[in-house]
Amino acid sequence: MTAVSNYVKNVFDSVRTTLVGMKITGKYLLQKPITVQYPDERLPIPNRYRGIHYLEQEKCIDCLACARACPIDCIEMDAVRHGKELEWISFTLDYQKCMFCELCVYPCPKDCIHMGTEFAFTSYDRSEFVHDLLSYKGMAREAKTRMIEAEAKKKAKEEAKAAKAAAQAGKDAAEEGEATAKDGEDNAD
Amino acid sequence: MTSTETQAGSITRTEGGVLPTGEREFMLDVKTSDLEINMGPQHPATHGVMRILCRADGELCTGAQPHLGYLHRCAEKIGESVEWLQYLPYTDRYDYLAAMNNNLGYSMAVEKLMGIEIPRRALMIRTICAELNRIGSHLIAFGTYGLDIGAFTPFLYMFREREWMMALFEKICGARLTYSYIRIGGVFNDAPPGWLSEVERFCDTFDVKWQEYVDLLMVNHIFVKRTANVGVIPKDMAIDFGLTGPMLRGSGVDWDLRRDEPYELYDEICREGVFEIPLGSGERGTLGDCWDRVYVRVMEMREAIKIVRWCLDNIEPGPVIADIPKTLKIPPGEAYVGIENPRGELGHYVVSDGGKVATRVRVRAPSFVNLAVLEAIMPGTLLADAIAIIGSTDIVVGETDR
Amino acid sequence: MVDPVLSLAAESQTSQINDWLWTVKPDFVPGWAVPLTAVLLAVGIAIAIVSMVTMAGTWLERKVSGHIQCRYGPMRVGWHGWLQPIADGVKLLLKEDMVPTGADRPLFLLAPALVLASIFGAMVAFPLAPDFYFADVDLGIFMILAMTSTTTIGVVMAGWASNSKWSLYGAMREAAQVIAYEVPLGIALLVPVMVAGEFNLIEVSNGQAGGMGVFRWYIWPWMNPFMLPAFVLFFVAILAETKRAPFDLPEAESELVAGFMTEYSGIRWSFFFMEEYAAMFLYCVVGSFFFFGGFESPLTSLARLTDVHVLVQVAAAVTIVTKGFAGLFLMMWLRWTLPRVRIDQVMTMGYKYLTPIALACVLGGGAWEVAVSPHLPWVN
Repeated sequence: MTAVSNYVKNVFDSVRTTLVGMKITGKYLLQKPITVQYPDERLPIPNRYRGIHYLEQEKCIDCLACARACPIDCIEMDAVRHGKELEWISFTLDYQKCMFCELCVYPCPKDCIHMGTEFAFTSYDRSEFVHDLLSYKGMAREAKTRMIEAEAKKKAKEEAKAAKAAAQAGKDAAEEGEATAKDGEDNAD
Repeated sequence: MTSTETQAGSITRTEGGVLPTGEREFMLDVKTSDLEINMGPQHPATHGVMRILCRADGELCTGAQPHLGYLHRCAEKIGESVEWLQYLPYTDRYDYLAAMNNNLGYSMAVEKLMGIEIPRRALMIRTICAELNRIGSHLIAFGTYGLDIGAFTPFLYMFREREWMMALFEKICGARLTYSYIRIGGVFNDAPPGWLSEVERFCDTFDVKWQEYVDLLMVNHIFVKRTANVGVIPKDMAIDFGLTGPMLRGSGVDWDLRRDEPYELYDEICREGVFEIPLGSGERGTLGDCWDRVYVRVMEMREAIKIVRWCLDNIEPGPVIADIPKTLKIPPGEAYVGIENPRGELGHYVVSDGGKVATRVRVRAPSFVNLAVLEAIMPGTLLADAIAIIGSTDIVVGETDR
Repeated sequence: MVDPVLSLAAESQTSQINDWLWTVKPDFVPGWAVPLTAVLLAVGIAIAIVSMVTMAGTWLERKVSGHIQCRYGPMRVGWHGWLQPIADGVKLLLKEDMVPTGADRPLFLLAPALVLASIFGAMVAFPLAPDFYFADVDLGIFMILAMTSTTTIGVVMAGWASNSKWSLYGAMREAAQVIAYEVPLGIALLVPVMVAGEFNLIEVSNGQAGGMGVFRWYIWPWMNPFMLPAFVLFFVAILAETKRAPFDLPEAESELVAGFMTEYSGIRWSFFFMEEYAAMFLYCVVGSFFFFGGFESPLTSLARLTDVHVLVQVAAAVTIVTKGFAGLFLMMWLRWTLPRVRIDQVMTMGYKYLTPIALACVLGGGAWEVAVSPHLPWVN
C-alpha cells in the first residue's frame, strides 16, 4: 500500500511544486525587468568607488609614500626640486598592474591622490595604460612666481647679508683704521 | 573478485563479482575498458578551472581524481615579499566570493600577533560585512548549484539579491568583489551616513525573496529527486576527511566555529542566542546527502540576517580603527586563527620575525580540504549525480589553488 | 485536375500550383517536369513558412526567458530585438565550418540534414488553413509521429560521428529518452483520436466546430473527462520528445556543454536548433488540433458568419498559429522554471508513470465514448 501511496504522492508533489514554481516565474515574467541598459542608461556610482585615480597636483610633495604603499609598484613619479617648489616631469600609474586596492590613497600626508568614479579605460595601444596623472608638466605659473619670488627674496637676503657684512667689514676696517690712527696719534704725542 | 590491471583503465577480470548497482557481472571474457572522461579544466559545471578525471562505465562513475593547480597564483609566496598591510588585497583573491571573510581571517591572525584590541564599532561593522558576504556567497553557491542541476532561473534571481549586497559594499568601500576593507586594526573607513539603514532595508526585502528561493528550487520535487540520497557523506567520514562548514553540518555534525571557538563578537552573539546553527537531518533522503548540504546553506542565509539585525540594533558610534603605527612591524611570533568562512574553516597561520614583511603566511583553504572527499564518494554514482556532488561541495578554485 | 504522373491531392496547394504551372508552361518543358516543379515549389514554401515560425520561436524564447529572469532579452537589433534571429542567422552563416579531426566526416555532415529533413517531412502534413494544405494526408497524425521519430537517427548519428565522449553521452541519453516517450505520446493521442474517429488533422478540427468556436473543443470535461489528463500526459511527452527542460539531458548545457551538438558550429548547429523549434511548434500544433479545437476559435466562427472564403482561411490560419505559439510559450515557461531530471528518473517517469496512466486514460476515455457519450446531446 505504501508503494501505491508513494506513487500517488510523487505525482501530486511533482505537479504541485511545478505549479508553485511556475507561479513565481510567471510573476516575474509580468514585472518590469531590473536591467539597466548600459551604455544608454547607467547606474549611479557611489563617490567612494575605486576607479581611475586622480591627483591634486598642487598639493603633492613628491614624498613617494603612495609608491611605497603600492603592493605591485605601479606608481612612479619624477620631479625636480627647486627649493620648496617642484617641477613635475611625470607621475605615472601603470594600469596594467594596478589592482584597484586603494592602498596608495591612505598614506598620502597631503591627501592628494584619490580614486575617482571612472572605470572604463580602453585603448588600442598598451603604452596608453601607463597613465600619466599630471594635469600639467613643469611648474605651475603660481609655483614659478613663488619660486622666482623665493629666489629673489633669497638673493635679496643674501645681498643684504653680503652688504651688511661688507658694511660691517668696512665699519670694522674703519674702526680699526681709526683705532690705529688714534694709537698713532697717541703714539705721536 | 580477482582482476589484473593491464593498461590505464582496462581491467581483465577472471572471476565475477557484484557491481555497485547490485547486478552480477557477466561476459567476463569480453575485454572492456572504462571510459576516461575529463571533466574540465574547461567545463561549465566545475566551479572554476579544475580538472576531475572520471572513470565511467557507461553512466556509472567508477573513479574520480581531482587535478588542481590551474589557478595557482603563488599567494602564499607573495606573502613573504610584501609588507603586512600590502598583503591584504591578495587575501581577497583566494575565495573571491567571500572576500570580506578572507580579509577578516588574515587581519585577525596579524592582530593576534600584535596583541591589540579592536574598537567595538569596528568589530560590529566587520561582523555585518562578514555575514552579508556569507549571504552573498551562499546565494552564488545555491544559484550555481541550481544551474548545474538545470534550473536556470533561480541563479538570476539570486544574482539580483547579490547585486543589492554588492551595491551596499560598493557604498562602503568602493569595490564590488575584492573589497580589501577589513584591515589590520579595524576597517579602513567608517560607514557612510545612511548605510546602516540601507542594510536594514536589505534585510527586510531579503526575507521575502528567501521564501521564494525555497519555493522555487529547494522544495521542487525534481530538485529533491536529483539531490536527495545522492553523495551521502556519513558522519564519521566527514570528520575523518577534515571537512568543515556546511559539508560537515550537512552530515549532522554540530560544529560551527562561531559558537564553538568564538572570535570577535560571536561569544556575545551566541550568549544572547541570536542565531541557530542549522544541521542536516536526512529530512528528504539520507543524512549527509546533497540536499542536506543545500538545506544547511539556505538556512544559514536566514540566520546570517538575524546576526546582521542584531549588529544593527547594537552598533554605536566610535572609532573604527585601532591606534597602530603607519608602518607595521609585527612583534616576532606565530599565530593561527581559524574563522568560519561560508565554505568552512578558513585558517591563517602567520609567522613573524619582527620585520615589516611576514616570514610565512599559510592559508588553510576550506575548499581544498573539502575537495578530498570527492574521491571517496563519487565512485558508484551516476555521471549526472557526479555533477550534483561537485556542486554541493561548493568549491571555489581560487581558494583551492590560491 | 488530378495529375497522371504524381497523384497530387485535389484542392491541395500543390495541385493548385501544378494547375497554374500547366497554364504558364512554355512548350519546350517536358510533361513530367511540371508536377515536379510544383512539388519543389510547394516544399520550398512550406520550408519558408516553417523557417519563419522557427525564427519567431527563437525570438520568443529569448524574450520569454529574459523577462522571466528579470532582464530584457535582445533589445538592440530592431524594436525589442525582433530582427535578432536574422542577425543570428547571418552570423552563423559566416562562421567557420569545422569538422573535428577523427570525426566520421560523411555521417557528421549528414546528421543535421537528416534531422531537419525529418521535421520538414512531418511539417508537410500540417495544414495552415482548412483549404490551404500542401498534402491532404489521411493518415495525418500517424505520419507526423512516424516522421518525427526519424530525427532520433540523426541525433545518434551526430553524437557518434563527433568523436567526442561528451557528444556520445548526449546521443545515448537522447535515444533512450525519445524512444521511451513515444509510447505515452502515442497512447495519449489515442484518446482524442478515439473521440474524433479520424487521423486527418483537418477533419479532427472540423469535428470540433460549433459552440461559438470554443465550447466544443475536446479538452473540456463535458466532452470527455479523460481528455485533460491525456493532454497533460501528451504535453509532458512532447517535452521529452523535443528534449526540452525538464528533459533536456541530451543537451544538458551545464553537464555536457551542448551534448550531441557540442562539436557542431555555425550553420550546422543552427540546423539542430531549427529542428528543435520546428518540432516544438509541430507538436504544439498537433496538440492544438487534437485537444484545443485546431482551427476553431471565436475569430473563425465570426469569419464564417461573414461567408468570405479568404477571411475564413486567414482567421483559421491565425488561430492555429496563435495556439501553436501559446503551446510554445507554455513549453518555454516550463523550461525556465524547472530543473533537469536525471536520465534514469526520466526513464522511470516514462515507463512507470506516464505509460500506465496513459493506458488508464485510454481505457477510461474509450469507456466514456461507448457508454456515456452517445447520450450527451451536445456531442452529437
